[in-house]
Amino acid sequence: MTVRRDDRLADGPGMRPVRCDRCGAGVEARKASWQQTSVQWTAAAAAACAERRAAPGGQDGGLFLGCEALRASITRAALDGALVVPDP
Amino acid sequence: MTAVDAERGGVRAIGAEAAPTRFARGWHCLGLSERFRDGRPHAVDAFGQRLVVFESGDGRLNVLDAYCRHMGGNLAEGTVKGDEIACPFHDWRWGGDGRCKRIPYARRVPLRARTASWTTLDQDGLLLVWNDPEGNPPPPEVAIPRIEGATRDDWTDWVWGETVVHANCREVIDNVVDMAHFFYVHYSFPTYFKNIFEGHVATQVMKGVRRPDVRPPKAGEGGRVMTGNSSVASYHGPSFMIDDLTYHYDTMDVECVLINCHYPIDANSFVLQSGIIVRRGEGMEGTAADETATKLAAFIAMGFEQDVRIWKSKTRIDNPLLCEEDGPVYQLRRWYEQFYVDVADVRPEMVERFEFELDTSRTTEAWQAEVEANIARRAAAGRPA
Repeated sequence: MTVRRDDRLADGPGMRPVRCDRCGAGVEARKASWQQTSVQWTAAAAAACAERRAAPGGQDGGLFLGCEALRASITRAALDGALVVPDP
Repeated sequence: MTAVDAERGGVRAIGAEAAPTRFARGWHCLGLSERFRDGRPHAVDAFGQRLVVFESGDGRLNVLDAYCRHMGGNLAEGTVKGDEIACPFHDWRWGGDGRCKRIPYARRVPLRARTASWTTLDQDGLLLVWNDPEGNPPPPEVAIPRIEGATRDDWTDWVWGETVVHANCREVIDNVVDMAHFFYVHYSFPTYFKNIFEGHVATQVMKGVRRPDVRPPKAGEGGRVMTGNSSVASYHGPSFMIDDLTYHYDTMDVECVLINCHYPIDANSFVLQSGIIVRRGEGMEGTAADETATKLAAFIAMGFEQDVRIWKSKTRIDNPLLCEEDGPVYQLRRWYEQFYVDVADVRPEMVERFEFELDTSRTTEAWQAEVEANIARRAAAGRPA
């Protein structure tokens, strides 16, 4: 069972590095539109994330819905043009 | 790109390898544990084999390969005797640990008298078995979380249902990321959708509103009008999903826990199960919660039928062609693959955290227009919305 590639990553914008303004965690992000966001974390980024550490259950494998500081950093990267957001 | 993906004359080819013959490593729920506590052995077809489930005299639920290692008798047709299952053919006695404990007509048990046994977990009224092609015990970090309401008096008992589906179980997993099918197949209206995959857990966060073209805004029992729902559903491993589901009404919220789980029969069929409990409380006094649980269970069973209708006639597809308003199918399958390889072959990208938040602005606009068109058409035909 080989998992294939998501063509959207080749046909639209690709995943681009973004660093969190709060804790410096490095992730890859992509925005197919202003409202859509993909975030690929690494183990190192997850370990570095301050919000995740502080979240209830964040350390023992409980559900962590997402990091607000990272979300803001990704939005800023999109506004700065570091993340290209395709025109609607 | 593989040969099967090759496009000729711009025609997109559907690629599909055969469904894996290996079965996923992980906890699999076999159903309500009380069902197996009637003093009799039960046959269960799972993981390409026939299993026998029996409650031993000590109250434990045990799962063994059903076929006796002596002459192949079917233990599921046998009898529970004390802590052992006795084969109907020659009365050989097998313990829950898979060892032959006694042969009443023999002086001693032969060497190698051991059959396959599965680690079981009887938790929150559910019987789970640990399947691992490598034969390792379940690691503690993949334990199925406790479901608090399942053992509390202020929640209902489980209302359980199951159905056999003749498809590979990847089809039901794909639903985790498939927002649009909830509108077209299940007649719901998602307005928020996010997926999170991390470790052995895959989560779907969804919010939705009632569809006035499907469920007219008439007051139901108790004078309530449903407005929408919020759901946080996580697969804990390859087959067991716990969904914290709240139905919103104009006057109150109804809290539920929905289990959506399955176990493979073989590569091309699986048993799909659902269970629901509903919280009692204000607006849910007396038997109201029980009635709601029964109604919701019927609603979920209808949802399964809607999925099954699609699965029965669709083809397996390894290279779905996606638009940007589809969810992360490929990343979900990358997560799912971890359960089909040896532990040593689990790669970081299968377990590293991935988040995908869907843009619902376009979907909401399109679906709102479709809902309004449906209502207008019915009004024109002289029927009430």
